[in-house]
Amino acid sequence: MLIFTLRRLSLFFFTMLLLTLLSFSLNFLFPGETIINLTGAINATPSQLIEINEAYQTHRNIFWQYITYLKHIANGDLGLSMASQSSISTEIVTLLPATIELSLVALYIAMLVGIPLGFIAAIKHSKLTDNLILSISMLGYSIPVFWLGLLAILTFSISLGWFPSAGQISLLFEIKPVTGIQFIDILLSDSPYKWQAFSDATAHIILPACVIAVAPTTIFIRLARTSMIEVLDTSYIRAASAKGLTFQQIIFRHAIRNSLIKIIRHVGLQFANLITIAMVTEVIFSWPGIGRWLIESIYQRDYTAIESGLLVLSCFIFVVHILTDFIYAALNPLARGNKYGAR
Amino acid sequence: MARDKIYLEEVFPSPFTQLWLIFRKTPVAMLGFSCFLFLIVLAIFGPFLAPYSPVEGQLDMILLPPAWHADGNVSYLLGTDELGRDMLSRLMYGTSLTFGLSFIVVIISLIIGVVIGSLSALTSGLKSSFLNHFLDVILSIPSLLLAIIIVAILGPGIDNTVWAVVLVLIPQFIHTTRYAVKEEFRKDYVLASRLDGASPFRVLYYSIFPNITDRIMGQATLAQSAAILDIATLGFLGLGAQIPLPEWGATLANGLDLFYIAPWTVYLPGLAILFAVVATNLVGEGIRHALKLRKEH
Repeated sequence: MLIFTLRRLSLFFFTMLLLTLLSFSLNFLFPGETIINLTGAINATPSQLIEINEAYQTHRNIFWQYITYLKHIANGDLGLSMASQSSISTEIVTLLPATIELSLVALYIAMLVGIPLGFIAAIKHSKLTDNLILSISMLGYSIPVFWLGLLAILTFSISLGWFPSAGQISLLFEIKPVTGIQFIDILLSDSPYKWQAFSDATAHIILPACVIAVAPTTIFIRLARTSMIEVLDTSYIRAASAKGLTFQQIIFRHAIRNSLIKIIRHVGLQFANLITIAMVTEVIFSWPGIGRWLIESIYQRDYTAIESGLLVLSCFIFVVHILTDFIYAALNPLARGNKYGAR
Repeated sequence: MARDKIYLEEVFPSPFTQLWLIFRKTPVAMLGFSCFLFLIVLAIFGPFLAPYSPVEGQLDMILLPPAWHADGNVSYLLGTDELGRDMLSRLMYGTSLTFGLSFIVVIISLIIGVVIGSLSALTSGLKSSFLNHFLDVILSIPSLLLAIIIVAILGPGIDNTVWAVVLVLIPQFIHTTRYAVKEEFRKDYVLASRLDGASPFRVLYYSIFPNITDRIMGQATLAQSAAILDIATLGFLGLGAQIPLPEWGATLANGLDLFYIAPWTVYLPGLAILFAVVATNLVGEGIRHALKLRKEH
């Protein structure tokens, strides 16, 4: 486990190096002056400019500029947004939790719906149920997410009026942001309308979360189906049925546990996909998250924001990758390293 | 008298032909394949077949519903949008933009990716490990996010979108090719031809490529469906095809304001995207299914 941890940490270090290098070089690639792109100080007076140049050490060679850039990032200084002239790190800290909340709820829905469906498809392998589930999953996998979002708004918000179509919570409720994650904030607040606010926030999150969840659900269906088919084909399942265990006992005691382990490994890989879908969905549902902020900063040519947003989002995705790797390794001893003779 | 001494030549189909023979037997895959061919034909000849111009509107024919509607007009089969442009013509032109461009995008990135991937499979040690980690990093960034960043550098527009999606798809092809080539290199028939004195490039060209074409094609269909969705999404966000161009995503975004009055301006482009992606995915499923069956025999 120690070697596994060290390997992951070295990978993490390497990735961070590459990502910062990428976002650093973006400053040179974007149109405009490098130092302005880096700091976002578009209205700086000449004396301030000298100060900024001093702070980022532009007179020294590119290597030292990069080191200084790393130091600034380590101190949490990502520069100013060109559009609003406010600090990007504070903006990201307020926006990122909303995205995390939305994508976690979506991931939860996707797992809750997708994995059991996949298991059912695997148990009924090559029968009508299996084909039906597979066809539906193919359809869900192919739907463009922005179209799905619009259809969902038209059906559930405008025609049926069940759910609100935009935003995170009704403006009537004043919730003080503490953690940034809406549901925890509501529970922490001492407002007398706490439960109304809670149900309002729930109604707001259902529609966007379901729209985001559609594509990952179909992927979970496939993953669960293949891993369950593999597990049902192994000799320990045959041994169990030879011992006289009923089919239900085999499925619930042996098959589900062993196939779940294989799925957990892919949750991290699905996360990048999920975040991409969440970005587009945030635009459609006006969700105050980092995806909408990033796309708006492209419209406004806010290069500092784009570069920092890329850095933060991809770091976040990578951290999730590594976390799931650790959980997988903790649950499954076989994954901790190459065994001798194993290929 | 029976002539029973006919010389029967034994024919061994190439791996690719074997794949096609299995693929042909799956009706769903063939359905997807014919839809795919139909889209390719439409992408090439659509601009010649379209009844009206996609950008010039008839101002007396504004917001006409599709022909099956009570107020519809048969000469505008799928209705018109808010400037009186014929939806059918726009969708036909859009086929060559969204679907045709995604096809070209996939071919360009396939060629670049396969070349880099097979060269990198021949390297080993530090260089190989560096490339591996580098690919891991690139693949961990969402493809759409990467495409958005590239468009932000190059500026919005359909040609920049194409380059962005090409760049985004290359790492996947490198990864697949590298993995497939490395796997084949371990097999005995490659060892045999290496012992015969074949150079690595000869082995690559004559022994390995014929055996990995199908896997790369499977990856290409995945890439194609991603490319269609990425081009359409960028068009929808206003970062891809610009206003008069009838790209499907951009057409959909154009219909957004009139969603409630003229829902067909949103339904139809969305259905077109869905149709293209489903056709591509069916072909991909067929190839993967055939690969699995071939392995079992």
